[in-house]
Amino acid sequence: MQARYVLVGNSAASLAAIDWIRKFDGSGPILLINREKGVAYSRVALPYFVSGERSLESILIRQRPDYERLGVTLLEDAEVTTLDPAVRALSLADGRRVEYEKLLLATGSEVVVPPIGGLEQCPHHHLWTLEDAIGMKKAAETAKRAVVIGGGFIGMLAAEALRKRAMDLTIVEMADQLMPQLLDAEGGKIFERAVRDAGVDLRLGTQVSAVGANGKGVRVTLSVGGTIDTDLLVVAAGVRPNLGCVGNGVIEKGRGIRVNERMETSQPGIYAAGDVAESADFVSGVPTVHAIWPTAVDQGRIAGANMAGRPVAYPGSLGMNVVGLFKVTLAQVGRFREAAGDVIEVSGSGGGQHYRKVVIDPAGTMVGAMYLGDENGVAEMGVIHHAIKRREPWRQFVAYGERRGASYAAMLARAPKPLPPGTR
Amino acid sequence: MKQIVVYQERCTACRECEMACSYYHEDAFVPAYSRIRVQDFYEEQFYQPMVCVHCADAPCATVCPTVAILREPDGQVRVHDDRCIGCKMCLLACPFGVMGFTPEKGLAHNCDMCDGDPQCVKFCVPNALAYEEVETGANARQKFAAAIAKQAATGGSPA
Repeated sequence: MQARYVLVGNSAASLAAIDWIRKFDGSGPILLINREKGVAYSRVALPYFVSGERSLESILIRQRPDYERLGVTLLEDAEVTTLDPAVRALSLADGRRVEYEKLLLATGSEVVVPPIGGLEQCPHHHLWTLEDAIGMKKAAETAKRAVVIGGGFIGMLAAEALRKRAMDLTIVEMADQLMPQLLDAEGGKIFERAVRDAGVDLRLGTQVSAVGANGKGVRVTLSVGGTIDTDLLVVAAGVRPNLGCVGNGVIEKGRGIRVNERMETSQPGIYAAGDVAESADFVSGVPTVHAIWPTAVDQGRIAGANMAGRPVAYPGSLGMNVVGLFKVTLAQVGRFREAAGDVIEVSGSGGGQHYRKVVIDPAGTMVGAMYLGDENGVAEMGVIHHAIKRREPWRQFVAYGERRGASYAAMLARAPKPLPPGTR
Repeated sequence: MKQIVVYQERCTACRECEMACSYYHEDAFVPAYSRIRVQDFYEEQFYQPMVCVHCADAPCATVCPTVAILREPDGQVRVHDDRCIGCKMCLLACPFGVMGFTPEKGLAHNCDMCDGDPQCVKFCVPNALAYEEVETGANARQKFAAAIAKQAATGGSPA
């Protein structure tokens, strides 16, 4: 098999790459290789599928005619095993060979399986693929109690989905804080209270030493002593870049696949985007893996344009995330943990349910922000997000707040116009 | 496309628009439900109604992980309730802070121009809001470029 463009992976980065390849090359054949079966689905929506709020149909983000319309051949249930950049070819697990002119590696992340005794033999669930979600939903239909190992992003989303199904919940987290991806220590404390208030049995600073089958259920043994019996065990110890197909050292990698500002790897003609790629962080400039949907879309677009011969540079990935959990909304942009010399602007902490922090570097530039509160505060975080993107000084952002309004007004009414009819 | 145009200098921050919007969409007079919000800078006596401008490359639509935000044939950017999961990524992506959220429904919303009969415009007493045909970004840029070219060719004023 061969194609001008070969894309590996069928989620945010690949789909964005297809759109932008087609902006600049209307006809070059595209072959999309995916190790899962079926059309693209939204990973972000999986917890809402598990909770029963959304149907399987509504979380699919492409239909088969969409691929056809864009001239994309979909190769499902196919795993790339090795790359041979010297001859611009790759091999699949079933022995087939695929030749490409331009290759995009958008293989995403894979779940980290923690070293817990007995886990392999014990029934448990992850929440990463659609298959995982279908399995968890089925199990949740009969289960009454659940234990979630991991109080990070996926663990908490899984917990929230199961809470909506009215299950008795225990969350075991080895660190002293929940959601370190979105919250500092102060925010962590406020959030922890909200989770406990929701009736969750929360065990922080606790490790699981072993798990084992116990009748129809599972028995979880804690490192601090004691056991918990449960019907459903969820393991969410994080994810890491899925580097399976670049194992033979042909491509430079750190935590993920290293890419330059055109999303090209150390091998000419091979690009990487999304969770698997390690590109410059917008704030620090340090190569970083940002396993988030918006970064995958941005990087996919940049990769697509460059693959199609249009040089476009990526300004770096600005981390951003938002999630509603246990009736609290959490959001984060950029670097929200202050370093030495930074100034922070905090509003509404101290026991309340509202907490916002903006981090300003020694030069006075906004570099990050964190928010915890109700849903509508997120809109303001959006305005802050774009100020960070413009590398705006905090003083300017505050003192000339009205200018934002003024420039917006100018945008809405670009030229002087007669007053609307009916003017008094 | 037809869009809500703001004549900022006429706004008095009376907030009738917020009430009209909230009542039309949510059957309740709750400013927080309104898709148009008046930002006030009382010390400067500067009032700015803020509402979705249906951006050309809309950041809300770009980041939406469920393809719930789409550009409609008439040009407007619309949230499709049946696909929205309420993740709020669009609120975090909007540079103008005009994406909103209804907690009771768990859905994001922007200005949908009341399907062609915007209530905020109808109820705006000082006529600070209008529903008018606006130039698209591409048109405006082309006109600007043409004016510059004309100036270079004729040595006259770009206008």
